[in-house]
Amino acid sequence: MIIPPFLQPGDTIAIVCPAGFMALEKAQTCIDTLQQWGYKVRIGATLGSDSANYFSGTDAGRLADLQHALDDPSVNAILCGRGGYGLSRIIDTIDFTAFRQTPKWLIGYSDITVLHAHVFHQYDTATLHSPMAGAFNDGGAVSEGVLSLRRSLTGEPAAYTCPTHGFNRHGKATAPLVGGNLSILAHLVGSPSDIDTRGKLLFLEDVGEYLYNLDRMLRQLKRSGKLAHLAGLLAGGFTDCKDTARPFGATIEEIIRDVVSEYDYPVCFGFPVSHGVDNVALKMGVTHTLIVSDEPTLLVE
Amino acid sequence: MNRKNFLSLLTIGVAGPVLAQPDPAKTRTTRTMAPSANTDPLPLLIPPYLKFGDTIGITCPAGDITVKEIQPAVDLIQSWGFRIRIGDTVGKKDFIFGGTDAERAADFQQMLHDPELSAILCARGGYGAVHIIDSLDFSPLRQKPKWIIGFSDITVLLCHLHTNLNLASIHSKMCNSFPDDWTKAEPVQADSILSIRHALTGGKMEYNVPVHPQNRAGYAQGALVGGNLKTIETLAGTRSDIDTAGKILFVEDTGEYLYSIDRMFWHLQRTGKLDRLAGLVVGGFKVKPDDPGEEFGHSLYDIVAQRVKDFSFPVCFDFPVGHQKNNFALRYGMTHTLEVKPDSVQFYTL
Repeated sequence: MIIPPFLQPGDTIAIVCPAGFMALEKAQTCIDTLQQWGYKVRIGATLGSDSANYFSGTDAGRLADLQHALDDPSVNAILCGRGGYGLSRIIDTIDFTAFRQTPKWLIGYSDITVLHAHVFHQYDTATLHSPMAGAFNDGGAVSEGVLSLRRSLTGEPAAYTCPTHGFNRHGKATAPLVGGNLSILAHLVGSPSDIDTRGKLLFLEDVGEYLYNLDRMLRQLKRSGKLAHLAGLLAGGFTDCKDTARPFGATIEEIIRDVVSEYDYPVCFGFPVSHGVDNVALKMGVTHTLIVSDEPTLLVE
Repeated sequence: MNRKNFLSLLTIGVAGPVLAQPDPAKTRTTRTMAPSANTDPLPLLIPPYLKFGDTIGITCPAGDITVKEIQPAVDLIQSWGFRIRIGDTVGKKDFIFGGTDAERAADFQQMLHDPELSAILCARGGYGAVHIIDSLDFSPLRQKPKWIIGFSDITVLLCHLHTNLNLASIHSKMCNSFPDDWTKAEPVQADSILSIRHALTGGKMEYNVPVHPQNRAGYAQGALVGGNLKTIETLAGTRSDIDTAGKILFVEDTGEYLYSIDRMFWHLQRTGKLDRLAGLVVGGFKVKPDDPGEEFGHSLYDIVAQRVKDFSFPVCFDFPVGHQKNNFALRYGMTHTLEVKPDSVQFYTL
């Protein structure tokens, strides 16, 4: 696993929007905060662009902006301004040649899971699953999630805890950490960005999905062999879950518990990775130890 | 296309170039070249067409439905001269499911074994087939193939049976779409339901396909596969996943955002389901309106046009299949011909 260099004071972080549109003012607090942390910020053409539709730019425009940040040797890390939808449309046309020679941290979550999974699968390179620019707003700049991003950028090893949960399955496992947005991971199955989860710690989160659809996607992961040989499972937040007019009849925690009931690896629920405020930075591809016990769950690098 | 044109074309198709059709063995060879395909091509398994007095079982592998709700379907199908056997899951309810996983699997399994059944009609879709698919033993179908009938969530079954048994099946409306009062059914609704009978009894299938300006002209022949697009996506990587090489793919969906539809078409492309297609048939898509401020900016037609632009196979839009009244029965897995011209679309089985 290739670990990009951690950041030094004065290093440059580029902010790009490879998926959905983001107004520049929505990223201003993030920009200010990154500068206060001692970094230079380079604003990509896709942040605060003049796009009139869902995307932050055309496929070509979003690709060019991300490509430029990947290729520019003076950029030390790339923070995606927001997710939304759009990476699937450009991922196969990104040229990672310069990135492989000069790896840098790629930062984001949600739709950015496409980028994380692709880089992990194709290039064995660690990325940072973390809050994005919007998370800095409304006091978020001092939230645990954003502060954990700051610590991760400097190379401080991660050490996270979360409260015990009645459905937790006890155990200890040390393995590379992979995962992200469940809808995206399901969408990537069978594609060139699909990750091999065998022997890995897998974390999952999602937002705004129907319970039946979460169930269906988890069944897909299971039926495609992605749950059978995990080292461990971290169930994050599934925020704003929706239910059909006739109730599905199981909570997301029950769905996850049941789908992995035949395996024996450790499982924890309520891990702070989500579309909500609880969203800590996770170094995807980096080996972590997960300890699930009667004590609060522990994930340490 | 009007019916007269269709029939005249059929005549040409039947009388003339039968020998000019691709050798079925070659079609299978194409399939074996696909990375996900089995090494041994399976012969196409076509269940016997139904005759007067044959029996159709009705079961709920996914969502729940009451006995009362299927009564219009029972009455109408009986009037066609078929017997009906109502499965144990009809009337059962486990939240959104027509019984527990074990109950739904047992009911379906019993029907797979039952030598007196010639067809199994899924009462409705919803969600749930994926819960039982891996616990079902489909081997009885090798000895006695039966028509499996349904769509939407039942796409799981149709895909699985195509991939694992090369079994022909019927993609069509289900019990929940039969009108309470047949005499008051809209013509297109009645025609859609009568097409199930037609498909079951071996009739020539006819489709009235409108011409859409973004259709792409061309000629294709191949096995017909597809179904609900979201369901197809969630089968990727599983043993129910379909190989589309050399085939005609049809897709429909309901209640999805445009961005999600775009993502699903990208998924088809990125999982190799478009590059060796013989043809693409786009059915009805009930699009969920964009949230305010999240306008996607591309129509369904543009989304598809973008995804197929690097290929040359024929494409037609607005085919009468989907979560809508004009949802005509399709003989899934069987060889179809698609001819898209600037002023007409022909789609037929030989």
